[in-house]
Amino acid sequence: MALDDAARAALARAVGVENVVDDPVGRRAYECDGLTGYRVVPDLVVLPRDAAAVAAAVRACAEHRVPFVARGAGTGLSGGALPVADGVVISLSRLKRVLDVDPVDRRAVVEPGVTNLEITAAAAAHGLYYAPDPSSQQVCTIGGNVAENSGGAHCLKYGFTSNHVLAMEVVLPDGSVVTLGGDSAEQAGPDLRGVFLGSEGTLGIATSITVRLLRVPETVRTLLADFPSVAAAGDVVSDIVAAGIVPAAVEMMDTLAIEAAEEAVHAGYTVGVPAALVVELDGPAEECDVQFEQVKAICDRHGCTRLHIAGSGEERAAIWRGRKAAFAAVGRISPDYFVQDGVVPRTRLTEVLARIADMGEQAGLRVANVFHAGDGNLHPLVLYNAAAGETERAERLSGSIAELCVELGGALSGEHGIGTDKACSMPRMFGEEDLATMGRVRAAFDPDGICNPGKVLPTPRLCGERPGKYRPHPLEESGLIDRL
Amino acid sequence: MTRATPTTVRPTDLAALRAAVLDSAGPLAVAGAGTAAAWAGDLQHVDTVVDVSGLSGIVVHNPGDMTVAVKAGTPLRDLAAELAGHGQQVSFDAARVARGATVGGLVATADAGPGALVHGTLRDLVIGMTIVLADGTVARTGGHVIKNVSGYDLAKLVHGSYGTLAIVAEVVLRLHPVPAASATVVLDCPLDEAVAHAARVLARPLEPAALEWCSAGSGPATSDGRLLARIEGTAAALPARVERLVDTLGPGAAEADAGEWEAHASTVRGRPGQAVLRIGARPSRIGGIVGALPGADGPGAGVTVGLGTGVATVALPADADAVESAHLAVHAAGGTSVLRDRPAGFGGPAWGPPPSAIAMLRSVKRAFDPDGRLGPGRFAPWPLENSR
Repeated sequence: MALDDAARAALARAVGVENVVDDPVGRRAYECDGLTGYRVVPDLVVLPRDAAAVAAAVRACAEHRVPFVARGAGTGLSGGALPVADGVVISLSRLKRVLDVDPVDRRAVVEPGVTNLEITAAAAAHGLYYAPDPSSQQVCTIGGNVAENSGGAHCLKYGFTSNHVLAMEVVLPDGSVVTLGGDSAEQAGPDLRGVFLGSEGTLGIATSITVRLLRVPETVRTLLADFPSVAAAGDVVSDIVAAGIVPAAVEMMDTLAIEAAEEAVHAGYTVGVPAALVVELDGPAEECDVQFEQVKAICDRHGCTRLHIAGSGEERAAIWRGRKAAFAAVGRISPDYFVQDGVVPRTRLTEVLARIADMGEQAGLRVANVFHAGDGNLHPLVLYNAAAGETERAERLSGSIAELCVELGGALSGEHGIGTDKACSMPRMFGEEDLATMGRVRAAFDPDGICNPGKVLPTPRLCGERPGKYRPHPLEESGLIDRL
Repeated sequence: MTRATPTTVRPTDLAALRAAVLDSAGPLAVAGAGTAAAWAGDLQHVDTVVDVSGLSGIVVHNPGDMTVAVKAGTPLRDLAAELAGHGQQVSFDAARVARGATVGGLVATADAGPGALVHGTLRDLVIGMTIVLADGTVARTGGHVIKNVSGYDLAKLVHGSYGTLAIVAEVVLRLHPVPAASATVVLDCPLDEAVAHAARVLARPLEPAALEWCSAGSGPATSDGRLLARIEGTAAALPARVERLVDTLGPGAAEADAGEWEAHASTVRGRPGQAVLRIGARPSRIGGIVGALPGADGPGAGVTVGLGTGVATVALPADADAVESAHLAVHAAGGTSVLRDRPAGFGGPAWGPPPSAIAMLRSVKRAFDPDGRLGPGRFAPWPLENSR
C-alpha cells in the first residue's frame, strides 16, 4: 500500500513542505546505504531541521501507520538504513549541531547528524576526544554510531559506542520523547539506554546524544611489523595479551589487504609479506615506554622481518591511513568485493583464517583479510567480478564466513550490525526463545511495527515461511551452554 | 490475615531453575547471597523465593580470550580467587563483593565500585547472559566474545532491574589483566577541596584507576575526610607516576596502603540503623549535592564521592522525611538516587521521581512479566505495575 495523501500531508506539516523530498530522482538517492546490493526507493524522504520536527514526523507516521527508517550518513554496511517500500526515510542529516562541550565534566551533547570526527574536533581545544573510532569516522554520524553500537580500532582498550554514551533524548516509535540514561553511570532502574544502543534504529530515533570525552593520552606509540606468516602475527597478539598488556589497538592485515592498501595510499607497508600487524599503545609516558619495549621484544621473538616505528605524528597517521584505507583500496585489485564482519574468540584467529583460505580456494575466489586482531573481529573482503557472474558465489562465500564465526563460538557481527543483511542468519546464533525475547523488547517499544521493520530479527516474510531447521549452537554441542 | 511463608526453592542447574519458575504461579523473588536483599523498594509478599546460590561455579574460563562464563549464584570474590591464578580479574570492585555478593545479584542491582572510573560498571563488562523469564522462557543474549552487535543486548535490561524482569542464570564477563603494580595516594581534605584537586588530577595525563573522597567517620561527614587515588600499571613505571600524582595533589599528599580502600568500602556499606542512599549526578555537581543533603554533615553520617564518576554513597540517620527530601534534591539537580540498606520497616521512599521513560519501562515489564510475578514492590513508589 503506497503512502496515502493524508499521510503525505501530515508529514509535510510535521517537517515543513520545503523539507520533503517527493520526486523520484531525489528519493532514489536514499535507496540504499553502504550495503549497495539491497535497494528500495522510499515513498517519501523527510529532512527535519530539529528534534521537534523529528518527533512530529514520527508522530505523523505513528498516526498513519506508516513505516519509517531513520538515516544518518548512509555509511552502514548491513543495510540497517535500507528504506521500506511504501515507507518514509527520516534523514537526520540536518541535525548537525554540537550543542555543548563541557571540559569539566568531560562530555559533549551533540545532535545525531554530527559526524564522529566532528565531536573530537569540537573537543580538541580542551585536550579531549571522543574514543570510538570506526574507520568511516570522517563521514559516519554519531546517530548511526548509536544505532549500530559502532566500534573501531581502538575499542579493544576503550570500548564501544555503548560504553561512551551517557544519555540520549529519544523519539519513541509513538512519537513521544524521553530521556534514556542520565548524568552519570548510576541509573535509576533497568538500563534502557543500553538496550537502545545498538538496536539498529528499530526502537526509536535519538535526537540528542550526550557522550563521554576522554583526555587525549599523553603518549601514543605505534609500530608496524611484518611477519613471515599469519600464524606468527597471531602468536604475537597472544603473547601481548598474555603479558598483561592492553594495547590501544592491534590490527592485522594479510598479504592481499597489504597489497591493496599500499597501492592505494603508499603508506609504507611491505608488499608481498604474508602478514602485518599495527600495534598501538597509549597512556602515561612512563607506562607506554615500558610496554612498548615489551611489544618490540615479542615481535622479534616471533620472527618479525621488519619493524617500523612511527617516529612522528605524520608517520603514525600514514600507518593508520594504510589500515583504514584497506576496504576501499581493495577496489583497486578487484572490480567488486563484499565486506564481511564476524567475530571469533581471539584464540581461534589462526584457525578461522586457515578455514577462510580453504573456503575461498574451493569457491575459486580471493579473500583479503583486515581485522581487529585484539578482539577477534574479522573483516574478510571477498573479491569477485560481477561481470563474470561471480556475484552469487561471492555472496554465498561471504555469508558462510559469518556463519563459520558463529560455529567457532563467535558472533555474526562485531560492529557492522545485523540489519537487512544478516537478519535471516540470526537463527544460526540464537534459538527461538532468544529471538522471541528480543521480539518482546521490540514490541514493547514499537507495538505497531513501524520503526525500521524487517531489520535485525528474522521474519517469515523476509526469510521464507519455513525457518530452517534448528541447528544447535556449537557451545551447546560442546556442553558449555544449555538450551531447554 | 497472615500470609503463608514463602516456599524457598534452590535449583542447582538451569533446568531446575526453569522448573522452579514453571512449577510456581504467584509472585516470586530471587535471592542470592542476601547482601542487597533490602535494597530498593521493599519486596512485597511472594509465594516463592528462588535461591540461586546453588547455581554456582565457573562454566568456562578462556584465559587466552580473557572471558569467563559463570553461573549467576557464584560469589564474585570466589570467582576473583580463581581468576587471580591466571593473572586475570573482573575489573569490578563494588563494596559488597567482600561480603560474598553474587555475580547475578551485582548485575541485577547495578552495583559498582571506585574502579568504575576506568572500567565502567558491570553493564560494560558483561558480554553475554542467560536469563529465565517469568513464564519459563530461557533466553540467551550476547555471546562469548568482547565485540558483538548481534541482536538486542538483553543483559542491559537486566542491569539495574532488581529481579523484576528476569532471573539471571548465567553471566559471561570480559576480563582484564591484574595490574602488575598498584599504589594508593591519599590527601586529607574536606569534600569541596577534594573536588578541586580532582579536577586538576583529571586534567593531567595521570590516568588514575580510581579517584574518591571518603569521610573519616568521626567529625562532620563532608568536611572531615580524605581524597583517595589509585594508580595501576607496571612495576617499572609506577613510582614515577605516583610521584607525579603526589606533586599534582600538593602538600599533604602521600602514598598509603591499600587498606584505605577497605575503609572506603566499609563506609559505602553503611552501618546498621542508617539509611544508605546511592546517588549519581554530574561529577561537577555531586560534591555540592551531597554537601547540601539534610543530615549529611552530621557526625554519624558516612559519605563517599566518586570525584570522576559522579557516583556517591551517603549513609544518613534513618529519617524518612530526610530521605524523601534527599531524593527530591538530587532529582532537582539532574541526578538519580536509590535507597539501599535501612532499618526494617523504615518507611521512607526507595526511589525519587520516576524517569521520563517510565511508560517504556512499564511496557517492557508487561512484555517480560505480564502477570507481575517478579520482584513485586522493588520499584515502588514508581507506577511500574499498576496499569494492568
